[in-house]
Amino acid sequence: MTAISKEQEQILTERAHSLTRQARLSAAVFSQYSQAQVDRIVKAMTTCAIDNAARLARMAHEETRMGVTEDKVLKNLVASEFLYAQIKDKRTVGVIKELPELNMVEVAEPIGVILGLAPVTNPTSTVIFKSICCAKTRNSIIFSPHLMAAESSNLAAKLIYEAALEAGAPKGFITWVDKSSRLRRLSEILFAHPEVDLIFATGGTQMVRAAYSSGKPALGVGAGNTPVYVHKTANVPSAAMEIIISKTFDNGTECPSEQTLIIDREIVDELISEFRRCGCYICDEAEVEKIADAVIDARTGGMNYRLVGQPANLILEQAGIKVDRHIKMILCPLKGELRLHRLAVEKLMPVLGYVAVDSVEEGINRALDINYGGGTGHTAGIFCEDDGVIERYADAINAGRIIVNSPSSIGGLGGVYNHLNTTLSFGCGTGGGNITTDNVGIKNLLNYKRVPRRKNYVISFQTTKNIYSNPGSIEHLKSLKCKNAFVISSRSASRRGHLSMVKESLPEGCHVDVFSDIGTEPDFPTIQRAVQAMRLSKPDAIIALGGGSVLDAAKIIRLFYDYPELNVQELAVNFLDFHHRMVEFPKDMRTQLVAIPTTSGTGSEVTPFAVLKDGFRKVSMIDECMIPDVAIIDAQFTKSLPREITSDTAFDALTHALESLVSTFSSDYTDGLALEALRLIFEALPETLKNPGSILHRHKLHNAATLAGMAIGNASVGVNHALAHALGARFDIPHGRANGVFLLSTIEYNAQIPSKFVSIPCYPLWVADRKYARAAQFIGLKEEAQAVDSRPQVENPHFAMEGSRGQYDGMVLALRRAVYDLGRLAGQPLSVSELGIDPADYQAALPELVETAFSDMSVRSNPRYCLAPEILQLFQAAYAPRVRP
Amino acid sequence: MSTKKDEAKKSDKKIERVRIMGSLERAVDEIDRLLAGSTDEVEIDFSTCTFIAVEGLEWLEELLLRADSVKRTVRFVNVPPTIYKVFKISHIESLMKAAGGVSSTKLGPAC
Repeated sequence: MTAISKEQEQILTERAHSLTRQARLSAAVFSQYSQAQVDRIVKAMTTCAIDNAARLARMAHEETRMGVTEDKVLKNLVASEFLYAQIKDKRTVGVIKELPELNMVEVAEPIGVILGLAPVTNPTSTVIFKSICCAKTRNSIIFSPHLMAAESSNLAAKLIYEAALEAGAPKGFITWVDKSSRLRRLSEILFAHPEVDLIFATGGTQMVRAAYSSGKPALGVGAGNTPVYVHKTANVPSAAMEIIISKTFDNGTECPSEQTLIIDREIVDELISEFRRCGCYICDEAEVEKIADAVIDARTGGMNYRLVGQPANLILEQAGIKVDRHIKMILCPLKGELRLHRLAVEKLMPVLGYVAVDSVEEGINRALDINYGGGTGHTAGIFCEDDGVIERYADAINAGRIIVNSPSSIGGLGGVYNHLNTTLSFGCGTGGGNITTDNVGIKNLLNYKRVPRRKNYVISFQTTKNIYSNPGSIEHLKSLKCKNAFVISSRSASRRGHLSMVKESLPEGCHVDVFSDIGTEPDFPTIQRAVQAMRLSKPDAIIALGGGSVLDAAKIIRLFYDYPELNVQELAVNFLDFHHRMVEFPKDMRTQLVAIPTTSGTGSEVTPFAVLKDGFRKVSMIDECMIPDVAIIDAQFTKSLPREITSDTAFDALTHALESLVSTFSSDYTDGLALEALRLIFEALPETLKNPGSILHRHKLHNAATLAGMAIGNASVGVNHALAHALGARFDIPHGRANGVFLLSTIEYNAQIPSKFVSIPCYPLWVADRKYARAAQFIGLKEEAQAVDSRPQVENPHFAMEGSRGQYDGMVLALRRAVYDLGRLAGQPLSVSELGIDPADYQAALPELVETAFSDMSVRSNPRYCLAPEILQLFQAAYAPRVRP
Repeated sequence: MSTKKDEAKKSDKKIERVRIMGSLERAVDEIDRLLAGSTDEVEIDFSTCTFIAVEGLEWLEELLLRADSVKRTVRFVNVPPTIYKVFKISHIESLMKAAGGVSSTKLGPAC
């Protein structure tokens, strides 16, 4: 290679600038073209290519002395006519695909300026193909032809360009590097030119490698080494003819063409005879060596480039084998270790190796030897009538196209023998160091802009199907279709007379077994014991009688009784969004579950939740299948509840109502339930505490808990529950009481403009402050003027963004005061210190509490994104004794 | 292509506004004349421009070069997005400057 002077280098650089500037302006102008304009241009280019197919083929053959003119005509027609048939109706401008089921469209954006390499083996067809593809996709292209084929490549580019220009294409959208001794250097400058957006490389390994090394996006193709398995079920004469067609096509210059045949031994003689009959030359062992000496470059181990695309007779002559007749193709039996055979490589000429195999397994393995011997990712072929074998072959072979019962070369081009995209560029995937395994085409020359509309978020509402409410509704048990009931309860159920109330209400003759071992915090061993007891009892109905712990435990017991194969750890896996969670629960439960709450708090009788204690943490199981079938809301069961439990559980229900109201999953359905639950609690709790025997107020409180349960069952809870779960588990605090100590802090926290908004599709607007205000209004509170008049009202400055005082502050303050007043009236602890927790113990537990709360699923539906430091502040703010806000 | 001319005077400066109507496929003589005359500032109004050809882009670039050499100002106003995008893709710094935009070429790929 001659050295290039500085001056020459400058001239080349200026030429590169000139070419890219033309292409750049053209690409800019092309961006304005409509689909109709583009299609008109493409049609004109295709017509021109068809008209000139023979002329260009002749010229290519004369210039390169490779291949067969007649076959080059066919290639030019495939690159124009066949390509056109495939792309003419494809949209490449504006919206090109609508995906209504995904609420999304795809919009095309051109690539810009493309540098296209044209190889010596297909100098005109590649130019035709790439030019038409670029016009269709509104890109401009600069061709860098192969030095040995530059005249024909550039003439193809010129003819097509002129036709395009005539049809209205932008000036300069096709340009080319002129033939000169500096062509290679100019191409190298273009590879690295900042105005080139993409390199579309088809050519020798070196050029493709140079394209990939340029640092630019590149569509390159890898080397081929096509194995073709001829299975014993193949139609032998047809297979022979198709292979001859393929391997002799343009004298074997097509890189997907067959390189080594792997033939089932049962048909090897028949197939070879057929090849011989059709005019092929079958070498003996000594001749194979002569052929290898001629066609393989001893220095590189690769093919001898001087024989690429040369006719079989010339190759035989070069090998010193005298033949006095026309030979279509040379077949060489490859003896010995196939992987090491000199001819087991790509040979772009009519020389084909073959081996015989004794089984499908061996056939696939030998094909893999060839496939991974320099042609990974490119092309493979199979002749076979057994779909199972074809499937096994396709599964094993690493090739972008596995051509079945067709010539692999013309088959690989696409559009002629099959419905592959027509191409002159064969993507080989990562196996060949490429980005795609596609038959590269217009699809790869566009940027795709996806325009996803916001997901329609479907809100569903589920709750217990049959709810019987009112004092005395336990009587409904009489109509229960049940012969064998299993009652799950706590030990106190019997003492309070609840168990006998249930037994007496069951249908006559119904057998009853009782498991009364559920404590305040049931764990999994307890669940397993209950399931074991049920296995002996074989009930057709489970009756859960008790507070939240009993009801939750009964849901889990039923789940593991009906589906013993389930794994508790898997079911308790956390999730971000219910719709996308990985855990799958059973669809249907087999045993009916009747829930009879004896406290007015959790609402578990109507929720899909169940909480289980696991050491120092609580795990939640959530699924629709956990919802009981029947709920009996009979306040007679709460008549004897002690004041403290009445208050604790009412504060649990109050927290449910407030948290579900502002939850990111709240809806019009849950809002109504939450608001009414709030109203009932504020109305009935003071009256119940004043007159514990009042069944009317107990009944209202009982209903409130169930309504709030329905609300959280569908809208979930929030950060208050996360804090309470952590505190309750760590210091053994009853759930409702733990909830109560954080309530004033969390309302204040959530009512401030979040330091970080929650990103969840069903919550397009942060409205927690106005929802609290609506709650205040609904329960008849008046706006607290003080909050509006004296601005710095935020008790905990950490919760508020600077200048974030809002129009609802007065009502939010009124609500917090009402919660405070209700708590004080009920004697409910409203801070952690009021629970009697030692400050040092609390301080020491904070890191663990924060971590537990942060991981709690409840925070996921909180209207304010809970940052870990904020959770710490919430814990800290909740310690000091409360004063009225 | 046709053009429409408006004249305005801001302080002592003589400003002419020419509107491009339809396609800009070649030089606009009227604008060339204005630049050669006594006008201090030419505003090219693209609000009714529907298409720019390569020749139009080349002329605009050349016009801006000429304006610069005679210390006159040429500004592009009311550039519709389709045309503005053509300027962006063309990577011609002077066009972007005249359109009041940010240079495209200075910005490398970024994540």
